[in-house]
Amino acid sequence: MRRVRVIPVLLLHNRQLVKTTQFKNPKYIGDGINALKIFNEKGADEVVVLDIDAFNRKEPDFEFIGKLVSECFMPLAYGGGIHTMDQAQRLFALGIEKVVIGACAISQPSLITNLANQYGSQSVVVSIDIKKDWLKRNRAFTENGKKNTGLDPLTYAKQLKELGAGELIVQSIDREGTGKGYDVTILQEISSAISIPVVALGGANSTNDFLKAIVEGGASAVAAGSMFVFKGPHKAVLISYPSPKELKEKLYSHL
Amino acid sequence: MVTIIDYGVGNLGSIQNMLQRIGVASLVTADPKQVEQAERIILPGIGAFDSAMTKLEQTELPSILRERSAAGIPLLGICLGAQLLTHGSEEGSRPGLGFIDAHCIKFNAQKIGSLKVPQMGWNEVIFQSTNTITDFMDMEIPPRFYFAHSYHMVADQEYVLGLTQYGYNFPTILKKGNILAMQFHPEKSHQYGMQILRNFSVWKP
Amino acid sequence: MSTKIITCTHCILDTTDDPSIVFDNDGICNYCLDYRQQELHNVPSADLATIKLADTIAAIKKAGEGKRYDSILGLSGGVDSSYLALQAKHWGLRPLIVHFDNGWNSELAVSNIEKTIATLGFDLHTLVIQWEEFRDLQVAFLKASVVDIEMVTDHAITATLYRLALKENIKFILSGTNVVTEAILPPHWIHHKSDYIHIRAIQKKFVGKPFKTYPLWNLRTRVMANLKGIRSVSLLNLIPYNKDEAKREMVAELGWRDYGGKHYESIFTRFYQGYILPTKFKIDKRRAHLATLICSKQLTRQEALAELSKPIYEPELLRMDYDFVLKKLGLTKVEFEKIMSDPVKAHSDYPIETNIYSRYPFLKLARPFWLALKSQLTKRNGHNH
Repeated sequence: MRRVRVIPVLLLHNRQLVKTTQFKNPKYIGDGINALKIFNEKGADEVVVLDIDAFNRKEPDFEFIGKLVSECFMPLAYGGGIHTMDQAQRLFALGIEKVVIGACAISQPSLITNLANQYGSQSVVVSIDIKKDWLKRNRAFTENGKKNTGLDPLTYAKQLKELGAGELIVQSIDREGTGKGYDVTILQEISSAISIPVVALGGANSTNDFLKAIVEGGASAVAAGSMFVFKGPHKAVLISYPSPKELKEKLYSHL
Repeated sequence: MVTIIDYGVGNLGSIQNMLQRIGVASLVTADPKQVEQAERIILPGIGAFDSAMTKLEQTELPSILRERSAAGIPLLGICLGAQLLTHGSEEGSRPGLGFIDAHCIKFNAQKIGSLKVPQMGWNEVIFQSTNTITDFMDMEIPPRFYFAHSYHMVADQEYVLGLTQYGYNFPTILKKGNILAMQFHPEKSHQYGMQILRNFSVWKP
Repeated sequence: MSTKIITCTHCILDTTDDPSIVFDNDGICNYCLDYRQQELHNVPSADLATIKLADTIAAIKKAGEGKRYDSILGLSGGVDSSYLALQAKHWGLRPLIVHFDNGWNSELAVSNIEKTIATLGFDLHTLVIQWEEFRDLQVAFLKASVVDIEMVTDHAITATLYRLALKENIKFILSGTNVVTEAILPPHWIHHKSDYIHIRAIQKKFVGKPFKTYPLWNLRTRVMANLKGIRSVSLLNLIPYNKDEAKREMVAELGWRDYGGKHYESIFTRFYQGYILPTKFKIDKRRAHLATLICSKQLTRQEALAELSKPIYEPELLRMDYDFVLKKLGLTKVEFEKIMSDPVKAHSDYPIETNIYSRYPFLKLARPFWLALKSQLTKRNGHNH
């Protein structure tokens, strides 16, 4: 039975866990260490932690990341403010499984290649954050969705693959936190054009969305934020993760 | 006491973290003298074959590891560490340690069809025989572990303890006497990882 | 000084639990006798209870007419609050479920809450306390060396419930507190949960920063709640409440999973009751709980003693929790062990809330006017109690 990874994505802002909607209006979620402990006990396949204001800082918050990693007995990918090999080395030494590169993929593409050469491509993930520009064209954005790179996502994805990235997180900024489902079209476009795994992110609301992203969108794994931290009409903060039974019945058995 | 080899490559913190969680004492060291006294060894590793082999050969460790393994000390290679125990890999040009008669090849693109390389994610390991290492008590089997690799080991049937399917079947646990090579990351594999490490910590080969 | 330990012949409390414990001619302790009194006053006989329950439910429904919710229920994921939620559904009530997240939720608690609200179809609201602020307050209480560290959480829960009730104009708070499993508690083991003056004082002394997000159940909130006629009702006292049966029912109807210890839905509570209390304060809280169950005839004395013979903390779990708690609180082992070995202090060694009339004597004069005003307002609100 084929399994695909189902990945919670947590956003850090000043050591606090937050959740945004379309990259705006962060809502406080709580303590990261406890959140990771709970995801770990729920048997989450993997977790991605992104520090959304790290690009303002010189360095990743190693001390805090160390505490987070110590609660994880599954892979933890970290992204936010990584722009040197040394920083990546430190993160790997702490126990981070993969580093997620964002803005640096544009400003310092050689970092991706160097990381892949030194640590293997499976340890380098690049996130492509996509938003429609005023002409309704899909464009890749960086710096928390504020800077338009001018690149169309497909071209960008191909470049990243050539540089040595092992995996791409394809995130729809427009759908983030909305629960409206993934942008299956863009997922399909990218995954069919490159041979490295694509992780879907942005807009997931149910296991149905996961299924669509994989079957129609060609994604190799699915990720979500709001779906795993909010519950109900009042967006109550409650950490959840599908049970093995649910994943089997609603996802794996349909693949 | 499990000695985790520090040669500048690998996810030492996570392995030690998991060993600590399951109550197994461990020591992370690069000191050849300490490795000489080791009673049980884990060789970790992530990244590229040649780069890791170079770093390892810059130390005195290869000969000490050879001596330890000849002395019958249980030795476990994890992920790239497992691959280093073989004769070599298509990924690079340097020879491996050659403790197990195996070598590493890239995933066969034709055979895996639409599946992507690297294999990143959870997959099942089917045991080919039973012993202390394969004892998963009342946990749901086959056990599954986290994989992140573009190259995999190949070896003769007699050394294959665990097989996994990713497009096609390939070995994911090799065993030769007191030497074990695990392609996956037990330290990232939750309860299953904890159980297999627990088993390793009491294994009498 | 006699060092002989005298044990109650009825429950299992003894002179080590409370040096001032007294026994009657039959060797029965004052706690058992006090339990009788509490039961008499708060747990009506079956017939009376049925009537009172029906009346209260009717009042809740009436007050909630035309509103989205007729009540508020604080759900921790533990036995009492979860069982109350189940009953609330059976009674046809429409509570807003509120969970106070202090950063210590166990996975089991979160899972039980999820199953409970999904199965019962209730809406959930969470108050997630700002973790750093809460952590600093917990560490402050630890450094203060006072026994009731949990009041930091208990106080915040109460404040949250009342504030939300005020905001949403909900008159009834459904409380899971009950006599039959909780009545017995030696007074020096806890402090008044409502004491906001004490909490503020300890914050000031050990943290030095004013609260930004910590919800204080202060005078203003209490006065407003009083004026608006918001009240807390302990409905578990009005039904035959047996812990084991309640658990069975919840397992069957909600898929609820057992924690293995009272209040173990919170990792900190588990550590506090299993390690801090026995080690630093020489208190085993299980004893009070078991004594209550003996008095409410849910457990025999033999069974209670058998329970007590089990280790208070499974060693593996203690080891993991010890590391986790210190990591979360940001304390080194040295710092924590120093706190553990510091001499115990009484809550009254720090500022505490005294009777309001002794603080502001002129209020005694104002009292008749206050009561008259309240009477007018409650009549206007259509509140008949």
